[in-house]
Amino acid sequence: MKTNKLFFALLIAVLLISVAASIVAAAEPVEITYSYWGTPDEAASVQAVADRFNAEHPEIVVKVMAIPNEEYVTKLNTMATANELPDCGIMNEAGVLDFAEKGLLADVSDMYAGADSMPLDSITFKKDGKPVAYSAANEILILYYNTDMFDAAGLPYPSATEPMTWDEFVATAKKLTLDKNGKNADDPEFDAENIVQYGAVVDNWTWQLEVWALSNGGSWFNADGTEVTINSPEAIESIQKVADLYLVDKVMPYNAGLEDNGIQRSIVSGTVAMATGGTWNVGTSLPGSVKYSVAPLPVMKKEVTICTGGPQVIFSQSKHQAEAMEFIKWYTKEENSWDNLIATGIWMPILEKYYTDEALTKKWIDNPNFPKYEDYKAAVVDYAMNYAVSTSWYYTPHTNEFIEYLRSILGPVWDGTQTAEEAINGGYDYLSSILAGE
Amino acid sequence: MEIDVRKKKADHRLLDGERKTAYLCLIPSCIGLIFLTYVPLITVLILSFFNWKGVGTLQWVGLTNYVRLFTKDPYFIDAIKVTVYFSVLAVFGSILYSFAIALLLNQKIPARGFFRAIFYLPYVLPAMAVYLGWSWLYESNWGLFNYILSFLGIGKVKFIGSPTWVVPSLALIAVWLSGNLIVIFLAGLQNVPRVYHEAAEMDGASGWQRFRYITIPCMTPIIFYNLLMSLITNMQVVTPALALTQGGPGNSSRFISYVMYTYAFKDAKLSYACAISFIFFLIIAVFTIILFVTSGRWVFYQGGND
Repeated sequence: MKTNKLFFALLIAVLLISVAASIVAAAEPVEITYSYWGTPDEAASVQAVADRFNAEHPEIVVKVMAIPNEEYVTKLNTMATANELPDCGIMNEAGVLDFAEKGLLADVSDMYAGADSMPLDSITFKKDGKPVAYSAANEILILYYNTDMFDAAGLPYPSATEPMTWDEFVATAKKLTLDKNGKNADDPEFDAENIVQYGAVVDNWTWQLEVWALSNGGSWFNADGTEVTINSPEAIESIQKVADLYLVDKVMPYNAGLEDNGIQRSIVSGTVAMATGGTWNVGTSLPGSVKYSVAPLPVMKKEVTICTGGPQVIFSQSKHQAEAMEFIKWYTKEENSWDNLIATGIWMPILEKYYTDEALTKKWIDNPNFPKYEDYKAAVVDYAMNYAVSTSWYYTPHTNEFIEYLRSILGPVWDGTQTAEEAINGGYDYLSSILAGE
Repeated sequence: MEIDVRKKKADHRLLDGERKTAYLCLIPSCIGLIFLTYVPLITVLILSFFNWKGVGTLQWVGLTNYVRLFTKDPYFIDAIKVTVYFSVLAVFGSILYSFAIALLLNQKIPARGFFRAIFYLPYVLPAMAVYLGWSWLYESNWGLFNYILSFLGIGKVKFIGSPTWVVPSLALIAVWLSGNLIVIFLAGLQNVPRVYHEAAEMDGASGWQRFRYITIPCMTPIIFYNLLMSLITNMQVVTPALALTQGGPGNSSRFISYVMYTYAFKDAKLSYACAISFIFFLIIAVFTIILFVTSGRWVFYQGGND
């Protein structure tokens, strides 16, 4: 009897201790990891933002994991294989639909439930028509120009409201391409072998070329992303026109299209008068480099630009999806990423109201980090609202493979050993098979 | 007599102890070899018969990956050609270069230690920094090499931007990076017995004759070793493609390792990449065997056959 009592008391004690332990455990904050591409410096500034969240939410601790941009996809793929993906993170655009296809992304459909403004439709990733991720930022391709070079040549600046036609763009670029004797590309004595200043760079970093197919009235894919249409005459001609800037017009420096640094090697290095590039450059590479402003892209046939932006996602391997969602919801609110990402010009807001309500637009871009207000308002804010369409990776899968192969077949086009027609027709079947996932 | 027996016993025990120690010391490297080389190798082979995208289930596909590799893959055949081309240039280039530098550094020149450090330095520099530096030298429009060429009145060369020049340009970097070979050659040169040279000198052999008939034969084991190491390293080349060229222009620097890397880690086609890496393993094995088989004819071991 005595032993029985003792046993009973012991049992209760164990029970009490375990209940107490689980209460303590519940009070212990949940730790989640947020992955971000960027340098350790950038990660530190993102961690600073996360720390504000941590202060407001004692039950969650967010840790930022920085992965260099060029390794981002590889790192995430490897972590997915090891079942060790972070809880949430920014995702490389080209990999979103592949990750969605493999079931690696958690459902984010109620991310904006009850919000007063929805993200723009053009920056919503869709699989079979259903949203799977929302870009954290909106970025479009625009034209940057070096104002000093225009002043020196006595040329008017490109208009921020009326885009140049392609022919006007080439003609302007010729006037701004100078040889070592100071003669421009229109001069009969122009020495094309000794150019010291080029008129233009149209970035041939592969994905950015899609905009020219659209501008020329063609496309790379049909509307629902099920068929490759890059072999249409308009799409082929658009690639040839870009290549001809170097081959025929002699206004663009040679580039094999192998590096993602169009703005750095043109506007930032101060060797090129006009260059196309993404709006993130306003905050990343351009500060403190040269005097510049912005204009819409030149137009082949149709006024258009493409938009993109890495989405914030929650990975389905996470054991703390609810907490991750809590953080992502908080983080994507403009006011929380305002100081280090939006006001610096790196990210453009994703909510429609910033584009339609001029008071909010002013709050966003009327600061010294941006080029002249009127230029940026017309060439970026209004342009993004009225002329931006989704880059194809918002609705086509296998983008990394597609882009990689396209880059490889376009190599001979940039140095003129093949025409765009030969290259595209030669590679068309394989491009189609990549889209089909064969 | 008694003493002899005791000594023998002691010897035996000593040998036993030594043997034990030897096996004990071998265990870590055996474990390493098994778990870091053989197990992955076999896993790679097994995976190559499946369809696996890194997550989800494995799906048996038999030889499909291998068939696709040789019939449909747009990169693989080119990649083999480019890799072999690069390896030939880089291996022979670095052997000639480092042997020549080692010969010079073996002379009694002033500040010899300084020069030895200078030539070894590239080998220990961080790879990304090295390639970034070279990319500035090679830049197609404004690079230093093109500046010098235009100064000399020669037209611009696109170097790594040109399908013709990209592999030789990258091979040149590999040659410049071969400081480790220099060190091994130097060590070998210092082991060439002086007596041979002295004897030959007395017999009136010229400097060239002594080099051709004494230095070279004595160095053949070292040359063989360096050739082998350099071959294996250069066949596996991937850094320049990752750092500089992304395999381009076109496919002209798309090395096998790079193809494997992009399939495995960018496109997450892991089992397909396994098939590539297994074929790649066979290719390197073939070259290594060729080197070993032919080595009997030209490598001279002073120690004789043991």
